[in-house]
Amino acid sequence: MFNQFGSTSETLSKASAVVLRIGTDAHLYDDPEDVNIAPLLDSKFESEKCEALKRLLALIAQGFDVSNFFPQVVKNVASQSSEVKKLVYLYLLQYAEKRPNEALLSINYFQKDLGDPNPLVRAWALRTMAGIRLHVIAPLALAAVSKCARDPAVYVRKCAANALPKLHDLRLEEHAPAIEEIVGILLNDHSPGVVGAAAAAFTSICPNNFELIRKNYKKLCQILPDVEEWGQILLIGTLLRYVVARHGLVRESLMLSLHGMDSNGFCEKDALVRDLTLDKEDGGKSDSFDVNLVNVVSKCYIEGPDEYLSRSSCLDPVTSAFDSKETTSVAHNEDVKILLQCTSPLLWSNNSAVVLAAAGVQWIMAPLEDVKKIVKPLLFLLRSSSASKYVVLCNILVFAKAAPSLFAPHFENFFICSSDAYQVKAHKLEMLSLVATTSSISSILREFEDYIKDPDRRFAADTIAAIGLCARRLPTIPTTCLDGLLALVRQESFAGDPESVDGEEGVLVQAVMSIQTIIERDPDSHDKVIIQLFRSLDSIKVAAARATIIWMVGVYCSLGPIIPRMLTTLTKYLAWSFKSEASETKLQILNTTAKVLISAKVDDFQMLKRIMVYMLELGECDLSYDIRDRTRFLKKLLPCKLASHEATEDSVASQENIAVHVVEHVFGSKLKPFLPLGLNDRFYLPGSLSQIVLHAAPGYEPLPKPCSFVFEEHDQLSDSDRQRDAGAVLDRSQESSETGDEDGSSDYDSESSVGSEFSSDDNERKVSNDASDPAAPLIQISDTSVSADQEELRSRRALDLWLDDQPSTSNQTPSAVNSNQSSYAKISIGDIGSRVKPKCYSLLDPGNGSGLKVDYAFLSEVSIVSPLHVCVEVLFENSSGEPILDVNLEDEESMKCILQQCANTNST
Amino acid sequence: MLQCIFLLSDSGEVMLEKQLTGHRVDRSICAWFWDQSLSQGDSFKSLPVIASPTHYLFQIVRDGITFLACSQVEMPPLMAIEFLCRVADVLSDYLGGVNEDLIKDNFIIVYELLDEMIDNGFPLTTEPSILREMIAPPNLVSKMLSVVTGNASNVSDTLPSGAGSCVPWRPTDPKYSSNEVYVDLVEEMDAIVNRDGELVKCEIYGEVQMNSQLTGFPDLTLSFANPSILEDMRFHPCVRFRPWESHQVLSFVPPDGEFKLMSYRVKKLKNTPVYVKPQITSDLGTCRVSVLVGIRSDPGKAIESITLSFQLPHCVSSADLSSNHGTVTILSNKTCTWTIGRIPKDKTPCLSGTLALETGLERLHVFPTFKLGFKIMGIALSGLRIEKLDLQTLPPRLYKGFRAQTRAGEFDVRL
Repeated sequence: MFNQFGSTSETLSKASAVVLRIGTDAHLYDDPEDVNIAPLLDSKFESEKCEALKRLLALIAQGFDVSNFFPQVVKNVASQSSEVKKLVYLYLLQYAEKRPNEALLSINYFQKDLGDPNPLVRAWALRTMAGIRLHVIAPLALAAVSKCARDPAVYVRKCAANALPKLHDLRLEEHAPAIEEIVGILLNDHSPGVVGAAAAAFTSICPNNFELIRKNYKKLCQILPDVEEWGQILLIGTLLRYVVARHGLVRESLMLSLHGMDSNGFCEKDALVRDLTLDKEDGGKSDSFDVNLVNVVSKCYIEGPDEYLSRSSCLDPVTSAFDSKETTSVAHNEDVKILLQCTSPLLWSNNSAVVLAAAGVQWIMAPLEDVKKIVKPLLFLLRSSSASKYVVLCNILVFAKAAPSLFAPHFENFFICSSDAYQVKAHKLEMLSLVATTSSISSILREFEDYIKDPDRRFAADTIAAIGLCARRLPTIPTTCLDGLLALVRQESFAGDPESVDGEEGVLVQAVMSIQTIIERDPDSHDKVIIQLFRSLDSIKVAAARATIIWMVGVYCSLGPIIPRMLTTLTKYLAWSFKSEASETKLQILNTTAKVLISAKVDDFQMLKRIMVYMLELGECDLSYDIRDRTRFLKKLLPCKLASHEATEDSVASQENIAVHVVEHVFGSKLKPFLPLGLNDRFYLPGSLSQIVLHAAPGYEPLPKPCSFVFEEHDQLSDSDRQRDAGAVLDRSQESSETGDEDGSSDYDSESSVGSEFSSDDNERKVSNDASDPAAPLIQISDTSVSADQEELRSRRALDLWLDDQPSTSNQTPSAVNSNQSSYAKISIGDIGSRVKPKCYSLLDPGNGSGLKVDYAFLSEVSIVSPLHVCVEVLFENSSGEPILDVNLEDEESMKCILQQCANTNST
Repeated sequence: MLQCIFLLSDSGEVMLEKQLTGHRVDRSICAWFWDQSLSQGDSFKSLPVIASPTHYLFQIVRDGITFLACSQVEMPPLMAIEFLCRVADVLSDYLGGVNEDLIKDNFIIVYELLDEMIDNGFPLTTEPSILREMIAPPNLVSKMLSVVTGNASNVSDTLPSGAGSCVPWRPTDPKYSSNEVYVDLVEEMDAIVNRDGELVKCEIYGEVQMNSQLTGFPDLTLSFANPSILEDMRFHPCVRFRPWESHQVLSFVPPDGEFKLMSYRVKKLKNTPVYVKPQITSDLGTCRVSVLVGIRSDPGKAIESITLSFQLPHCVSSADLSSNHGTVTILSNKTCTWTIGRIPKDKTPCLSGTLALETGLERLHVFPTFKLGFKIMGIALSGLRIEKLDLQTLPPRLYKGFRAQTRAGEFDVRL
């Protein structure tokens, strides 16, 4: 009974489904081949042809190859029924390339249809004819397009514009000028619909033929609001590229106005920026705009990031300012003014792509004080579909990196909803940590507290990382953050077995790392936190978190009064737990013990030494070869230290002393200062695909070079304006470059005075003279004094020092004699380079004979730091007429193992 | 520009492919895509732009159907995404929704629409009212006709007059015997209540939806009594920017039929109509939950279809929840939904019960977020009021109608 009822309901629902599907094409999709298709195609009834074509389309939709019906289908192109025609066209476009010979049969019908009085028929014929991609018919198709480009019906002209890229895609060189000419005609069309399609054709055919735009520039700007949304997107980009190519960037814009702000502190724009900052938020001036980053962004827009980043050194992002002749100003340039005026209402467009494109123009071209009007429209886009939300956020993120103050007052927009996708959440967190200011941080932190309890643990871990970033940016909040994070660490570590819950480990590891990031800024005032972390070590079970804390033991082992006293106990504990640790923790334990050993005071030393020896023995027979390797490495290095700690006062053989140096460098080095974020990021034009996938997609072009498009018949007025402007700016830029120079040199001075307390610059120069003296003996035996001070300095500023040091430091005179200084004998082979000429390789060769020339050679002398190192001599030669400033030689690897020597000969 | 569009069913089957340019895209890309989304899970599914080894993929998901577009060259990604959204909108408008069956049953219409909407990878005609004239939507009459006569073309023979005019969104001369125009304010309330019960964010996202059935070439102006409360807005292309910039008046020639005139946002609202008070205490592996829902400030109209849904955390092994009003359902994926409906006068709806945690856990350390749903007819909670709607030339018989409604948008209450 029950069964029956069930079956009835089933049949009922089936029946209702059948009823619903009556009259649709469902049966054709389900069983396209249940009848023989070929005879239907030859039928004399339109309805049967139609059915046959539908069956073929169904097969195409399902991925079958039905090109063998091509001849029969082509015949039907002559049909009068619009539906049959449409279906035949759909089929033809699918297979024309595969069956070129049969496709040619259809050309006559297209030709005939092109003369049809019905515009729809003409348009369809044109679309299909241009779409079948046969080189043979390209001339015919081109003729058809050029005829349709003058068609009375707008729709046909629009299709003509769309057909142009299809012809261009065939890559027939002889047709290129004709195609570009038609693009010009269509761009000049009075109907907005056609102009939009023509802009698309322009972008894909000849994006750099600015002559076509110049002719119609004003008209294109006026027509822009009426163009269909899709055309607007591309037309905005085209107009922007034209204005940049013709007039260059705008001086008052964000891209340029911050140039030289740091070197020329009193320029008027600085005042402007300060105003802006004042009326925005209380955030510090450095918060309002990241000058370096803005420079990088603007350079990337013009040159493309790959080119730019490969050319410039990452540490020195402030390269030369744009040539002042290549800039313009809104006040004086009519074209720029019109562009900004016609794009700003598009910020209200319903289409998010249009809004983003318009915002991009304002971002690049608008005066600094107007840029903020893009903020609200951009943020409103975040309420659109989840897909576009993500893309918009990626772009906002770039804007906010360069100008955090723009978005700082709107931080609430980045609060996270539970329905956001994970990527959106991650981006919003990054935004929040970027735009947080002292006034908004308290509410942001309260939000973060909520996020930490979110069931998505990956998101919670990201939140904790964001807290770390916030605390590092804002100096006032670390204490509150640290307390919260510590509580979290305790709670997480007591929460039971973390492995039972997914992602819980990540949260704990991230919490420890965030604490580390915060402490790193100012370790001295946070020693209590460090101690607490050390104490909780035993309860933390996650290997990565343990490793981080153990690493911190090594780094901060000499900090404050309490930590050094804990060390013996700590190392004992580490030695005790060594056996049961994961291998990453074991590696850290080994490193840390070595570090502790080096910084240890005499009274602990014996104990620590015993622990070290014990651990080396354990490590040597570990299962993991990484650990055995590390142990062996330490075993080779450390004996000198183990043996000679008390005996540093005695003179020891230099060989061992070198080992001590190495040990100091490897394990005694301090943390490098925190590098500013984001300078290595890649920036592409706003709204581009490349910005989302973070590599240059094929066909991506940066903005054209400023003023690369020169139009001969200069407009008299604007030209004189430009010259006047240029003159004014030239003066200013010279000024700024001079001040920049001074800044640079003073900077250098201060550095070297810090670095070389014991050898002044003069001394070194004298030394270098000595060394180059051919009469100097080849082998020198000399006394060298090494002060503890010097060692420390060397470790900190190792690279600077080595760069400044001369080949034979043997006769260095210590200027600051320290109490616990030690001297030792040194045998060095003198400057063999003066006798045996080493082979020179060129590193950088100016092709045209002027510019910087860099050669390098491997010297035969032995390094003073370690016999394992090799000396390299790098010669810089300035073969141009002008002085080259800020030559910077840097080492990409960590500073552990490379010694470089540099003789800087600057022959001007 | 786009090279190909694929429609994938929720099981990963390619239902339809439409090649747009001569550079054909093999459908093996869909297999790659599906493999990736199976192996990487939700975070891949929600990634709208994907760089595959051969192509850049753009995807949107609508009702389980994945719309996938491929390109090999640089193009604005938002353009692709917006276009796919438009395709999905048009299809669901034509077919009355999108799902696997509807698309397969009407695949010819889908092909014809796609062919009209995009040409050589660049959008051609996307205005719904024009498309309706070019390709007739399937309706009962045409279905019957095709059954009876076996022949009913849905492709129009003539070009819609609007396709080339300067108001491309409007057919040139629609005729109506009775002229009607309806304006709906449809608002969604987005709010975040944090774990302390504090209202962190409360704002209204609203749309002005219109249905215009007017003869000829009407020129309308719509003005608000309090336009200053509008924080952000976006307009349909028909709205002229100048009058809005100068005195906040919407002046436009409307499309025919239903359309979205503008969307707006009103921020910093002080109050929500409904409150949710969740409480949770955990002890020795079990948690006691109680959630109260009530009316905080009476909007003057009935609050309908109140629902509360939340995702139970992973560490909950079983849940026993009951309510004194409405029904509670817990799905197998641990989604719990409490359907309340209207709040009764005599009692406060309360959901209570216990959650059992997985063994080894003492307390709950992650907490769910409640999503509230409700609907209020007849009121716009933002307080936006329409002042008047004028026609430049009054047709003989004109009926104007105004309505408003508010529902919950992204209304999160954190526990």
